[in-house]
Formats: sequence, structure tokens, C-alpha cells
Amino acid sequence: MLERFTSEARAAVVGAQQEARRLGAERIGTEYLLLGLLEQDGPAAAVLTGHGLTRDAVAAAIVAHTGGDELDAEALSTLGIDLDAVRSTVEEVFGPGALGARPRPKRGHIPFTPRAKKVLELSLREALAMGSRTISDGHIALGLLREGHGLAMKVLHDRGIDPQALRTELRAALGS
Amino acid sequence: MADTAQVASAASSRDPAVGLKAVRALRALVDRLEALQVENARDEGWTWEQIAQLLGVTRQAVHKKYAGGRGPLRRRD
Repeated sequence: MLERFTSEARAAVVGAQQEARRLGAERIGTEYLLLGLLEQDGPAAAVLTGHGLTRDAVAAAIVAHTGGDELDAEALSTLGIDLDAVRSTVEEVFGPGALGARPRPKRGHIPFTPRAKKVLELSLREALAMGSRTISDGHIALGLLREGHGLAMKVLHDRGIDPQALRTELRAALGS
Repeated sequence: MADTAQVASAASSRDPAVGLKAVRALRALVDRLEALQVENARDEGWTWEQIAQLLGVTRQAVHKKYAGGRGPLRRRD
């Protein structure tokens, strides 16, 4: 499938990987695909930006939504839970670092979430449905909307963006 | 740590911000522990069915959550 991607689409996927790494994510979810799309210059990004979706706004939303994954020793202590004690118990059994510090993302490979993979699959379907032999970044955006869930859609929803309107505009921008 | 706990509970146990943050932190901790235990169980050759039963969830739920992951978790039954 990847061989059908236009250079913009590839750049968006690579951008998603870079953003995920930069923000310390363990997996590349739909929200990082959205970020990757916003970094492109083409008509699809223009449509998204036209709805007030900027890279910084989306990145901030991601941090707000996923920040809770950090283990918060102070918050746990208010429940009488000693995170250090939990950590040492777990490490006794499973070895040092078992509980994390989230494992630092490896340099090379951060896996896509199943949902993000689904989005990429759907981008192929969107391209085929529009009679396109190649998959552009705009088709990935349509794939995101088609999949319809995940953090990317939550970001859209939180910003009051109508997915249907966005879909229509994207299709128009893609020239069908 | 104990001091922190006492101070925090005494000062603001009715403060929703404290309570909600605690719930969120606890959930994050539970998620970590669950992932660790599921991974270990898979390493030990447990089936998704066995794991799900002890976690009190459906086999599909635990499979969906963890089977797409890295390393040993990727194995299928």
C-alpha cells in the first residue's frame, strides 16, 4: 500500500512518527497522523487549517489528553499509595524499570495504533472510491474522518468542527 | 511520602482537583500494572481466555487491548 502514497502522504506519515517521538508517545495514534497532515503544504492541510486546526493547537490538545499517562506520585500519595513502594515491589519481581518511567521511545520504530493503521487502510479505500491510483495526504485526512474515532476525532469534536463539512471540503479540494 | 499524603488529604480531601487527579493517577498505575501482568502471563504461555477470566473481562476485550502490542504480546492463540 505504501508504494501508492504520494510524497506528501509519505511526508505526513513520517511527520506523524516524528511528532510521536518528539512528544514521547509510545504509539502513533490518529492524533499524530493529524499532526503529520497539518505539516504538509498541500490543499488538504489548507482545508484543515481553515478550520482552525494548527499544529500547535493539536499538539497542545494531545498533551492535555495524554498527560495523565504519567505516573503521578504526588496524586497517588493523596490516596495513601506510595508509588515508590509499588515500584520497588514490582521491580523485585519483574526487574528494574518494569513499571517505567515509560520506556524511552526507541530511535527507529514507534508502532502505529491499530486505529491509525485502520486510518491508513481507509485512506486507500477513499482514494479508490475517488478513482485515484495514488493515495494523497488528503485521502489520509478522509480516512481519519471515515474511521471516525480516536483522539484525532476528539480534537476535531472539541473544536466544534463538523466532520461532514470537513469531508465535503476535503473532497472538493482533492478535485473530485 | 507519608507526610505528603497526610498533608494533602488533610488540606484538600474535598477538593475535586485533588480527587480527580488521584483517580487519574491511579488509573495510569493500574494500566501499567495490567500491561505488565498480561505481558508476563503471555510469556508464561497463558491464553487470552485464561488472562481474561482472571481480569474479569471478555477474551475479546483483553485481546483487543494487548494483542496489537510489541514483542511477546503479539503472539496469537
